[in-house]
Amino acid sequence: MTTNQTHTIAPVLPVPATAARLTALVGALATLGSTFLAWTWTAEFPGDLTVTGYPGGLQVLTLTGALLTALFALAGHGVRGLGWLVPGGKNSPVRLLALGTFTTTWYAVLAITVELGGLVNLEPGGWIAAVASLVTLVGALGLPADVPAENPGPASGWQRFTHAFKAPAPGKAAPLPSWAEILIIAAAFGIGLFIFTYGIDTEYAELFIGFLLLIGFGAPAVARAGLNRRLGALTATHKNVTVTAAFVAAFAFPFTQSNDAYATIGANILIFATVALGLNVVVGLAGLLDLGYVAFLGVGAYTAALFSGSPSSTIGIQLPFWAAVLAGAAASLIFGVVIGAPTLRLHGDYLAIVTLGFGEIFRIAMQNMDGASGPDITNGPNGIPNIPDLELFGFNFGEPHNVLGVELGRFSNYYLLMLFFTIIVVTVFRRSDQSRIGRAWVAIREDETAARAMGINAFRLKLLAFALGATLAGMAGTVQAHVTFTVTPAQYKFVEAVPPNSAFLLAAVILGGMGTVSGPLIGAALLYLIPAKLQFMSDYQLLLFGIALILLMRFRPEGLIADRRKQLEFHETGQLDAPKGDIGLSKAGV
Amino acid sequence: MRHRSLFMITTAVTAGALTLSACGSRDDSGSDSGGGGTTVVIGLDAPLTGDLSAMGQGIKNSADLAVKIANKNKEVEGVTFKLEALDDVAQAATGQQNATKLVGNNEVMGVVGPLNSDVGQSMQKVFANANLVQVSPANTNPELTQGKDWQSGKKVRGFKTYFRTSTTDAIQGPFAARYMVNEKKFKKVYVIDDKKTYGAGLAATFAAEFKKLGGEVVGTDHINPDDKDFSAVASKVAQAKPDVVYYGGEYPAGAPLASQIKNAGAKVPTVGGDALFSPEYVNLAKQNAEGDFASSVGAPLETLDTAKQFIADYKAGGYKGGYEAYGGYSYDSTWAIIQAVKAVVEKNDGKLPESSEARKQITEAMQNVSFEGVTGKVGFDEFGDTTNRQLSLYEVKSGKHVSVSTGEFDG
Amino acid sequence: MNDLPQQLANGLLLGALYGLIAIGYTMVYGIVQLINFAHGEIFMIGGFGALTAYLWLPAGTSLLFALPLMILMAMACSVLVAMGAERFAYRPLRGAPRLAPLITAIGLSIALQQAIWAFYPDATKSRPFPEFEGGRIDLGAFAIGRGDLFLVIAAPLCMIALGFFVSKTRTGRAMQATSQDPDTAKLMGINTDRIIVTAFAIGAAFAAIAAIAHGVKYGEVNFKMGFIAGLKAFTAAVLGGIGNIYGAMIGGLVLGLAEALATAYIENIPGMSQLGGGAWKDVWAFVLLILVLLLRPQGLLGQRVADRA
Repeated sequence: MTTNQTHTIAPVLPVPATAARLTALVGALATLGSTFLAWTWTAEFPGDLTVTGYPGGLQVLTLTGALLTALFALAGHGVRGLGWLVPGGKNSPVRLLALGTFTTTWYAVLAITVELGGLVNLEPGGWIAAVASLVTLVGALGLPADVPAENPGPASGWQRFTHAFKAPAPGKAAPLPSWAEILIIAAAFGIGLFIFTYGIDTEYAELFIGFLLLIGFGAPAVARAGLNRRLGALTATHKNVTVTAAFVAAFAFPFTQSNDAYATIGANILIFATVALGLNVVVGLAGLLDLGYVAFLGVGAYTAALFSGSPSSTIGIQLPFWAAVLAGAAASLIFGVVIGAPTLRLHGDYLAIVTLGFGEIFRIAMQNMDGASGPDITNGPNGIPNIPDLELFGFNFGEPHNVLGVELGRFSNYYLLMLFFTIIVVTVFRRSDQSRIGRAWVAIREDETAARAMGINAFRLKLLAFALGATLAGMAGTVQAHVTFTVTPAQYKFVEAVPPNSAFLLAAVILGGMGTVSGPLIGAALLYLIPAKLQFMSDYQLLLFGIALILLMRFRPEGLIADRRKQLEFHETGQLDAPKGDIGLSKAGV
Repeated sequence: MRHRSLFMITTAVTAGALTLSACGSRDDSGSDSGGGGTTVVIGLDAPLTGDLSAMGQGIKNSADLAVKIANKNKEVEGVTFKLEALDDVAQAATGQQNATKLVGNNEVMGVVGPLNSDVGQSMQKVFANANLVQVSPANTNPELTQGKDWQSGKKVRGFKTYFRTSTTDAIQGPFAARYMVNEKKFKKVYVIDDKKTYGAGLAATFAAEFKKLGGEVVGTDHINPDDKDFSAVASKVAQAKPDVVYYGGEYPAGAPLASQIKNAGAKVPTVGGDALFSPEYVNLAKQNAEGDFASSVGAPLETLDTAKQFIADYKAGGYKGGYEAYGGYSYDSTWAIIQAVKAVVEKNDGKLPESSEARKQITEAMQNVSFEGVTGKVGFDEFGDTTNRQLSLYEVKSGKHVSVSTGEFDG
Repeated sequence: MNDLPQQLANGLLLGALYGLIAIGYTMVYGIVQLINFAHGEIFMIGGFGALTAYLWLPAGTSLLFALPLMILMAMACSVLVAMGAERFAYRPLRGAPRLAPLITAIGLSIALQQAIWAFYPDATKSRPFPEFEGGRIDLGAFAIGRGDLFLVIAAPLCMIALGFFVSKTRTGRAMQATSQDPDTAKLMGINTDRIIVTAFAIGAAFAAIAAIAHGVKYGEVNFKMGFIAGLKAFTAAVLGGIGNIYGAMIGGLVLGLAEALATAYIENIPGMSQLGGGAWKDVWAFVLLILVLLLRPQGLLGQRVADRA
């Protein structure tokens, strides 16, 4: 394992390349085959892995992983017709996919062993799967590295291992007719929607973990292969198509659901994500740290609740929904300006504590205004319950409707309504980001003194960002009030076990990627789904969530979807790492 | 042409595999019937993690116990019960999500929970739309069953699927107030609450009744139950020199509050509702708990055979953590659902009708459920509230809650 | 108003507790500009460490005898956790975007809280903490509890020791240098990594003292106690001028006083009868903070520095 003059680096396992590729291929096919066998004898293990000839549950994940491994292995070998799969790295995607298949399969096999109590519960299919996926991994590790070594001299085993996952960036793609490019974008979003829906719909924890494992390895594999970059280039040329495709995919989500259970999660994720995007204006674009942002959501929700015609509202006026939305947004706007005007002159972290304080003041005030310890406005801790369902143009959101042969339940209706507001917020965000104002915000964020020197009125622009962010959150709040039926102060704490709350909103923005559109959306989806899906861990659910936050920041400090510029800033090499967590839903820089 | 065909093949295989795995529904529902009978899932929603997890876990364990006992005794012939417990982390939105999830599962025939009244509010309508019966072991806000104008006597039931085995604030507060005025001859009270649904409601009903009986409220204040320093409020209490302090809230803040009030020099008893009726209260307030009162629903557990049995079974069940304040109610709530299922099965010749019809009939049957439960006689009035209006008042004597008064509250 | 001395005492005692915790915030912030939201949990872990030490001793041991061991144990737990957090969670993020460590801190805070909740025996509920025997000590105009004595003695001692350390010892001066200009300090041969760890450790040690003070004052510890205490302490640190160790203590005392006085007297102001008492005290405390920051954006004792962003 010495290196020669061109600094090639030996593979992790010293095997001839052809033998390695053959091993990987055969292993992958064997793994694939094993999923058609029974892995265990009893249906007690969730997903019923006892059926021969029809993979189910975790087997499907293994099957997908093995299939992709085989495909990429063939493509990497230069099989014609598959070259489009690997414009970037040839062998590192195979390695990652093999690793993903291996962990998923072994996780499944171990889960069967542990949950059913002993190795005897494994049928031959399970054994074959375990061995075959190991063989695939061995073969994949024997494939040569994609990029030459950076330093001459012998490399340690670990260096070779990490090096094996590096890949070169893809070259420029040959131009395709634009209809083909658009089709590719549409297909990519189709796949994205499928993956997202699959993740949300996982019915038991084992499947969700297997899913996370496979995605965790599969997404970087796709990135290493250079497909992300290719897709990124396409989406950059067809921006509007991309945005439309993203929303069509999001719009299609409730139509893929057979009951309302996951639509509820979908609606809540959308609310959370939309508010996070609003916060992104404040934090991501203007660089103002706001720790009390959820208060604006609360202002909107309380305004809508008071004007909703709820029997518990202290104001006997019922406004039509559009008016309530405007009122909620306006109330938030006023609240934002009132808070912002005096405090935005403060610097950095002082602003953080002041916004935190205002967030708490809002919550405490709502809690107190019940006639006993304040004016009688909000019913205090009881909040405003029994908010009626919306009815727009004769369409009652509370009742199931049959649309295009699919029954859409209450939460699907609200999901679609919320999606409409998400589109508004995304549009506002994109418009302002690309405008003079947006550039001024970025200038202030990067160096306020320099920005002032260039003639930017920093205070006014910061106030604008703050007020805009508040308005967007207030708007989302008006829908939230109707979705949850009830508005209580306890929903708007600084930190709580479930989103949305100020801390989680901030986490969604930073984790997803500040200053991008898709970052907070993906960050919010992850932050919502991970705790929800980890429920089976009961006692350790939040503990694992906390650890996950630490690890995500440790390995991805610039966020999952990073601003291109930021990414160059925070990774030394700065050129090879494509976004890891991108699950194809949407692209950086959208 | 070779590469083109390969491309087609790979696309076809991928698409095929994906559709196979995605659309194919291998009927895996309803296949686990085991003995050939039907499985009825009882949903449960409570805060299983977080601050209130101790009480939430007590609710879950007790419901689990009820399900196990029903299965062991073959309470309903041909029906096996299963518990599906979901965690709402005391959040309305999460509770609502759990509710839709339970509604979506056709095997769920009834739901026990939740603990918090605001979570209950967000769930009610989801269940009502699906005709799925819900029995809360712990919601005390009168509005949930009697509408918002319950105080003015205009009681309207909002949701026919909502029942509860716990009593409302409207009963517990006044019961304690009567004892304090009539028996203890206290004239002046200082009322404190924690500004939460349960605490504020309880404190308000206590104060109203206390005033009606001729007592005087010499001061009111509120605390943040997340705080631990109540010295400023305690000093105010000492200054006001009341005969008694009423605290509407739960023991984690109630115990230090009572303790700090006594330390501040006001040697008067603190009185509270069933959320103070816990051995933990005495553990935390130590010697300062002596002489404090707490009301609780039902006759004292030691006096009821059913309760003794429950305590013994719970111990034998080997659960982690105690049954806590609402364990008994949770057991009764679960048992009420089991009884309603039983009634429906008996009505339909030993079988449960298909899902949505079964849910409807079970909801109707719930109205007439009646049995001797852990907390006394379980049954529901026209609003879905418990008909059990028996209450007890306990005083801490030598480090233990001792029953000093038991009676029927007549409204 | 004749209970004014008592309320002042209440406020100062509470404030001293805030101040002790705030030191940790302010020291870490002064050097790495990080809002360490997990500091409240470091405080909480100190409390559980002390409780563990007490439970090791034979039942019925007098608290006074147990105290030294409890202090050692509390400090050991807090300092170890803080140093571990610095080494494995924060240090890898140096040079990362400014807000990334904030999320790490929130994650850490959740994880530590949940770890105690899940693994410490019976920690799902509040655990009783040993208290000093005997009634309150009457000092004429006001009285304080026996448990408060610990705070009355420990808080000034800690401040004096810290003042001495920072101004007189080599490490202390290196700390000041690092906080003023980390790059230059490095050039002067100061091991900034070590200084940062030291700042975390000292903050943790003070939090541990505060945790014992909390335990003997309120007679219990629980897994959630770090959250509110941490939030208040952070407020105190900002109020006093974040980065300034004396400011942290002053900020704590002012905050404690504000809470006690707001609870006691605001409702007596004509027209404010509904806006006083315990329900609104946190609002008034934050209003005070905001007013102070508007008039003195650098906090009470903070020095005016250019925004380091």
